[in-house]
Amino acid sequence: MSAAIVFDGLVKQYGKQKAVDNLTASVMAGRITGFLGPNGAGKSTSLRCLVGLSSPTQGSATILGSEYQSLENPLSRVGTVLDSRGFHPALTGKQNLRVVAAAAGIPDARVDEVLALVELTDAQNKRMKNYSLGMKQRLALAGAILGDPEILILDEPANGLDPAGIAWLRNFLRSLARDGRTILVSSHQLAELQNTVDDVIIIHKGKLIAQGTIDQVRGEGTLEEAFLRLTQGELS
Amino acid sequence: MNLLKSEWRKLIYVRAHWGLLIAATLISMLSVAVTPFVLDSQEELFGFGLEQQEAVDSVYANGISGYIFVIILGIMLMAGEFRHGTAVATFLTAPKRGSVVLAKLAIAALGGVLLMLISSLFSFAAGFIALQSFPEAAAPSDDLFANTLIASVVAGAVLAVIGVSLGTLVRNQMLAIVGALVYLFIIDPLLLALLPDAGKWLPSGLITAMMSLEIDAPALGFDTSDYLPALTATLVLLGYGVVFAVTAWATSLKRDIE
Repeated sequence: MSAAIVFDGLVKQYGKQKAVDNLTASVMAGRITGFLGPNGAGKSTSLRCLVGLSSPTQGSATILGSEYQSLENPLSRVGTVLDSRGFHPALTGKQNLRVVAAAAGIPDARVDEVLALVELTDAQNKRMKNYSLGMKQRLALAGAILGDPEILILDEPANGLDPAGIAWLRNFLRSLARDGRTILVSSHQLAELQNTVDDVIIIHKGKLIAQGTIDQVRGEGTLEEAFLRLTQGELS
Repeated sequence: MNLLKSEWRKLIYVRAHWGLLIAATLISMLSVAVTPFVLDSQEELFGFGLEQQEAVDSVYANGISGYIFVIILGIMLMAGEFRHGTAVATFLTAPKRGSVVLAKLAIAALGGVLLMLISSLFSFAAGFIALQSFPEAAAPSDDLFANTLIASVVAGAVLAVIGVSLGTLVRNQMLAIVGALVYLFIIDPLLLALLPDAGKWLPSGLITAMMSLEIDAPALGFDTSDYLPALTATLVLLGYGVVFAVTAWATSLKRDIE
């Protein structure tokens, strides 16, 4: 089993504060990996370094053996959802995706396809500012799969979703994983994804505290219990 | 090529950009159309009337007024990416940030040129119609329309580039727009009036110089013979564009995208 994503001694420092502190972890190809930790643990910062939006203070984060910036046509290798703010509120869902598709050299027909996959065809000509939070998250997912990538990096995709939305997301992730994709999905709600992920990476205050298969990490109890045991009940 | 197509879509999909085109055209038309009436009623103050060619030239020259909107367009194209968070999607799709900025500069320049062409052509028509009320009005100089159009197009391209660069440097869209307007409406005219020797090197002075007007209105302290030759002015303005573009290109490459 090979690693699709590798964090190697990653440090990201803002002023005196280390948001990510010497993170070393791997994400195995073809598996769903949960990237877990409380709010402010450094998950988003790690992912931003991984996709080249932030530059690491030290260490590296690589995808398929190279930095994100060096990937040729990255959207066809890696799909990313960072937050639902990635789209222009005054454009329709379809226009937003067509802007991205043009930049990646993806035909407009694929935009219609992914809108259908996330069940947004009916809302495709509505302006994005009129979308509900759940619709924005689905639009962001549509953007991530636009290039039919083998790796997906999803930062808190369940944020703000209602129970039906979370169930939909779980099924959607499973269907993507069935095709052999590698999925790295972050969440601050430890319980939310424990039935969906194969592996977990848990970080706390910027530091790695556990990684392995879900069974290895949670042992006999739940992920929450494992997390509290690992941090010795320390509040973040 | 892909990036140019993507940037072009950003330009035409956002309705506010069409609003800027309409506003620029209306303001330029209005400014050209009222000038003959102002000149006619204040003939003594200005020291020349519509029967003189330089007065008619100065009427049509107002057709260039839309350039203020071009700098706003440029700022919105770039700072809007940070305001709405679309910079994330943009730089994820094309992580080589230099190419994105280059494509944006090119499309912004094209947008600026189109905006200036449309607004000045409509303004010429407005001026022509307004001047029908003044049978005594002289004919404009032979090369007035060509010179004004060339000045419009160059100003459109350069100011759009400056706008994109400002949007890259000052990522806060409102701050960048307010700053640009305060500069163009207050600081630049002040410098031009107080220090004509230095002021003629600044954007407003350069744009006026590019139109090759010959207007001498001592009562207003305005004499175009103080200005740089048109070609020099064009080159200096292009130079400003290049300096701003290189600054934008160099800085956007390094900073983190939030």
